[in-house]
Amino acid sequence: MNSLDFSIVVQAWPYLWSGLLFSLSLTAAAFLVGMFLGTLFALVQHFELRILSQLVRSYVALMRSIPLILVLFWFFFLVPIVLGHLSGNGRPVPVGATYTAFITFGLFEAAYYSEIIRVGLRAVNKGQFEACQALALSTFDTYRHVVLPQVFRVASPIILSQTIILFQDTSLVYVLSLTDLLGAASKLAQLNGRLVEMYLAVAVVYLMIGCAASQFVASLRRKYAIAGARR
Amino acid sequence: MQQERTVSPADPSPMVVVEHLVKRFGSFNALSDVNLEVAKGEKIVLCGPSGSGKSTLIRCINHIEKHDSGRIVVDGIELTDRICDINNVRSEVGMVFQSFNLFPHLSVLENCMLAPMKVRGLAESEAHQRSMALLRKVRIHDQANKYPAQLSGGQQQRVAIARALCMQPKIMLFDEPTSALDPEMVKEVLETIVELAQDGMTMVCVTHEMGFAREVADRVVFMDRGSIVEEGDPSRFFRAPNTERAKAFLNQIIH
Repeated sequence: MNSLDFSIVVQAWPYLWSGLLFSLSLTAAAFLVGMFLGTLFALVQHFELRILSQLVRSYVALMRSIPLILVLFWFFFLVPIVLGHLSGNGRPVPVGATYTAFITFGLFEAAYYSEIIRVGLRAVNKGQFEACQALALSTFDTYRHVVLPQVFRVASPIILSQTIILFQDTSLVYVLSLTDLLGAASKLAQLNGRLVEMYLAVAVVYLMIGCAASQFVASLRRKYAIAGARR
Repeated sequence: MQQERTVSPADPSPMVVVEHLVKRFGSFNALSDVNLEVAKGEKIVLCGPSGSGKSTLIRCINHIEKHDSGRIVVDGIELTDRICDINNVRSEVGMVFQSFNLFPHLSVLENCMLAPMKVRGLAESEAHQRSMALLRKVRIHDQANKYPAQLSGGQQQRVAIARALCMQPKIMLFDEPTSALDPEMVKEVLETIVELAQDGMTMVCVTHEMGFAREVADRVVFMDRGSIVEEGDPSRFFRAPNTERAKAFLNQIIH
C-alpha cells in the first residue's frame, strides 16, 4: 500500500457530510423522543401506577435485553404486517427505512433513558418532596419545578454517555440500507480502496463530536452547578 | 375555596384542633390519643425525648404524615383524604424543617417566589416584591441571588423561614429548626423566630432550646411515648414540672 493520501477524504467530503447529517438528526430525534418517553416511563414507575408500571418494566426489560440491530429488523419487517392487519385488507403497509430508523431509535433509547431517570428520581432527597408538600405545591409543579430539574442535573453525565453511545449506534442503520457517517465512509472506502484514510478521518469526526458534547455538558454544569448542593 | 366559618369576636375559634389523634408506624404507636388545641396567636413549644412523637404530631397537622384516626381541624378546615382539603390546609400552614430542605437548584429568591406564583397565582413582580420584603425581614436580602449551597446553615434556615412566610401562612410549624445548626448559628435563627412571635404569628415549635421556650412560649407541651404527658406555663414547667417523666427529661437536657 502506498503512503497515505488524504485528498480522497476531501473529495468524499460532501457524501460524508450527508451521512454525518443523517447521524446527527437521528441522534437528536432519538434523544428528544427517548428523553420524553423515558421521563414518562420513569415517572410511571416512580408513582408505582399498578398496571402501567408493570407494563413499563416489561418493556424496558425487553428493549434492554435485545440487540438494537434486531429491534431494527423486527420493526422493519413486523410493523408493516401489523399495520396491514390493522388497516383491514391484510396487505403489509411499508413504513420505509427512514421512519423505521427514527421510530425504533426513539423507542429503544426511551428504555435506557428511563432507567437513568428512574435512578435519578430515587436520588432526590425525601426532604425536597416534603418541602413541596408543605408549600402546597401540586404534584405537577413539584416534579416540573423542583424534582425533575434536580434529576436532570444529577444525571446529566450519564445521559451524555448514553447519548454518545446512541450517536455511535446510529451506524447500525446500514441494515436498513440507510447511510450514516460510518456507512458513507465504508462505502467509499470499499469503492476506492482507501480504507485507512477513510476510517481515520471518520474516527477523527467521531472524536471531535464526542469531545464537543462533553464540553457542552461541562459548560452547562458550570453554568447551573453553582446551585451545587451535592446532596 | 372560601370555607364558611362562624367567627364572632367573643368566640375566638382555635387555629388548630387535634382530637384523639392516632398515628402508627407499623405496630409502633407514634401517637396515641393526642388532644391539642392551639388558639390564634398562641405560641406553643413542644418538647420531649426523641421518639416521643412531637415531630410526628406537627407533621400530621399539615398532612405530611397521614394520621390513622382522630380529627385535625386547621382554621376551620378539617383534614380529610381529599386532596383539596389537604392543599387548603397546607397553603395556610408554613413549615420549617430541621434540615432546611431548600431547593438547591434555585436561587434564594426563586426558592421564595415559586410557591406564591404556582399556588397563590401571584404575578412574578408581586412574588418578587413579597419575597424581597420577607428576605429583608430575616435580614438576608443581600444574598437573594445566591444559591443555598453558598450560604451558611443559619442563613439557609432563615431563607427557609422566609420561604414559608411568603405563602402568608396563618400558623407556622417549626420542626427542630436549630438542631442541625452549628452552635454559633443557633442564635440568629432563634432571634428570627422570636421576632416572628412578637409579630403575633401563631406557632408550634418543636425544640430543645429551653431559653427560647421561656422567652417565647405561651405554653409548653411535654410529650413522651406518643402522648401528651404534661402541659403548662413555661416558667412553672421548667421550675417545677408535675410529672416524674418531665422531671427526668429536664434533668437530662440541663446536664
